[in-house]
Amino acid sequence: MRALPVAIALAVLLVGACGGSAPDSIVGKKTVVVGVRPDLPGLGLRRPDGSFEGFDVDVATYLAGRLGAGVKFVAVLAADREAVLLDGRADLVLATFSITQERKKRISFAGPYHVSYQDIMVRSDQKGIGNVRDLAGRAICAVEGSNAAERVVEERGVAARLVPAKDYDQCLTLLKEGAVDAITTNDVILAGLAKREKAGLRLVNARFNEQRTGVGIRKGDVEGCEVLNRAITDLYQDGTAAKLMTKWFGGTGLDLTSVHVPRFEGCE
Amino acid sequence: MTITSAVVRARTRAGKTWPGSTVPRRIRLISGITVIALALLFVTLAGTTQIARTGLRVIGHDAGPQVVATAGLYFALSDMDGQIALVLLMGKAHGQRRAEALQQYERRRNEAGRTLMQASALAGNDPRKRRTIQAVFDGLGRYERLAGQALLLDEQARHAPGPPPRQVLDTYREATDLMREELLPQAYNLTLESGTIVRRVHDETRSSLSAGRLVVVGAGVLALGCLVWLQVFLARRFRRVIAPALLVASAIAAMYVYTGFTVLDREAGTLLTAKRDGFDSVLSLARARAISNGMHGDQTRYLLDPQRADTYEHTYLDAAQSVLYVEAGNVKTYHDQVSAALDVSPRRQGFPGFLGAALAKQDGELVSVTLTDYDGFQRADADLRLLGTGGRRAEAVAVRLGPLSEKFDAYDAKLLDLSERHRAVFERAVTDGEDALADLWFLLPAAMVSIAVLVVAGILPRLGEYR
Repeated sequence: MRALPVAIALAVLLVGACGGSAPDSIVGKKTVVVGVRPDLPGLGLRRPDGSFEGFDVDVATYLAGRLGAGVKFVAVLAADREAVLLDGRADLVLATFSITQERKKRISFAGPYHVSYQDIMVRSDQKGIGNVRDLAGRAICAVEGSNAAERVVEERGVAARLVPAKDYDQCLTLLKEGAVDAITTNDVILAGLAKREKAGLRLVNARFNEQRTGVGIRKGDVEGCEVLNRAITDLYQDGTAAKLMTKWFGGTGLDLTSVHVPRFEGCE
Repeated sequence: MTITSAVVRARTRAGKTWPGSTVPRRIRLISGITVIALALLFVTLAGTTQIARTGLRVIGHDAGPQVVATAGLYFALSDMDGQIALVLLMGKAHGQRRAEALQQYERRRNEAGRTLMQASALAGNDPRKRRTIQAVFDGLGRYERLAGQALLLDEQARHAPGPPPRQVLDTYREATDLMREELLPQAYNLTLESGTIVRRVHDETRSSLSAGRLVVVGAGVLALGCLVWLQVFLARRFRRVIAPALLVASAIAAMYVYTGFTVLDREAGTLLTAKRDGFDSVLSLARARAISNGMHGDQTRYLLDPQRADTYEHTYLDAAQSVLYVEAGNVKTYHDQVSAALDVSPRRQGFPGFLGAALAKQDGELVSVTLTDYDGFQRADADLRLLGTGGRRAEAVAVRLGPLSEKFDAYDAKLLDLSERHRAVFERAVTDGEDALADLWFLLPAAMVSIAVLVVAGILPRLGEYR
């Protein structure tokens, strides 16, 4: 029958036309590889056994679950967050990754899944530091690879004195010794540090410089980004976000009275 | 030549290659394939137009209006909070402006209620959207109570223009935090979610349309081939050059395949126009307007709450860079960079950000006036902050109420005008698409029935010769 080859050709064309979504999407993956911080207590910290814990880790596990995928974590330091996405070492990055227009030129962001503020941590007995202006003339810790301390000087125009440090642990030592008066960075990073130290430190709750913490994702994966945004909506609507905030930052002085879904960045 | 002699001759000829009884079987077989091909054509056209119609309905009558409603909601909510901040900033002075701001607050409150109802009606059964809308309903009640308290405390305080007393500020902080951290993000996410739905339905519908077009062509070629085959077969067997009924059937089928293909093709183009030139621009402009209104509010709050002035200034910069991106580490550099970029090329396109996206395909003149208005808004902001940091509060409040208001209103009016234009493009494309589908759908059964009748009319007399 002559109709048969025509029908086969049509079927082939049809299947071709309806072919699946973009090959690079995280949607449909069996396992997603997520880059998390190994060095930030409360957010992303590598345990002695090599596994990871923290707020970002729990959020990543929840989101992977919503994608119907398993999750595998890799450690990523601040400087490598874009690189691991671009060279394919990670599918997603949840590592206190602030959404900026500059970064959006190379990668995309789902979320933000959390909005934090730059805040100030001082010794519990410290008086006279209530907001960023009060840092004028004070010594503040400037951690290598973080621009938080520089922003106080350049963006806010406050004449603070920067004392360099290798990492937050060294900052804590300097603060406790009195070599610096304050550490300033993302409030959740400070809350994590304060919680680990248990006593002697206090968050000022100055809440300047809003930081929108997003899920780093490869540029162009619009569908993956949209699916993640819906999952983040669920994270807040089902109460998981509030639970996780309390679990990791309860009792640190961080204001947890109102936990709400942030304004999304959009996926295009 | 009589029919009988033709039949005899045909039978004799057929007898050489075919057994006599196979001729009617052959005719039935070819007609059968023809009918199957026509049925495939009919079903494909019907199915594809149905998909296209559903796509247009979702984009044009659900998600599209939902974007307009939720963007309106965001705008109304944001301006409610902006007007409250303004009233508190004016204190006991500026009586007339104070009354106007309170009236504006009332109007926005009504708009918020109306758009929230619309958004609720359009949300259908989507559980995420329903929960979000419910949360906004609940939060709006709390916001109004807090705003009312702040206004009452402010009236009792009778303070000079500038920051109000502590008690007023504390209540307003509660209100504005509720608005900006809870209600506005939810309204904004509703708008984005509608954008997601439009993108998905658009992509799915267009891929169905292109698959549909292929099947229409395939089925059409098959049907026409069969009709020609039938014609040739009858001509050979029965010595007839043409069967008029079959010829007409072929012509109608060819015309319909062509019409079906072009309508589906145009439909794909219409969807693209509706999305790219209409919807996407409406969405970009809605976001630009929403964020810009928040920036205007942040200018007021910057003067209202000195403790948080740095926070509001940073929020302003962050928002400004999402509207029109130029590299800048602080607000002053941002003002300078915007002005510098426009001095170099006032019609420049391709700025990253919502405004850049919305202006991407506009003509140069329109780009130029809109960017100039945005720059004017930024320059007025620079004046405001210069007075603000210099401690000249009354003058700063006067700039906020005078030149800055005017600059913002001029810029906002441009965005609104642009948005209306794209909305018209969007609505026209949706209507065109629906009309074309309706025409195709109206003629489809008539064409198919007439082809079937003509095929039968063409072969029945021949089959009759075998009875």
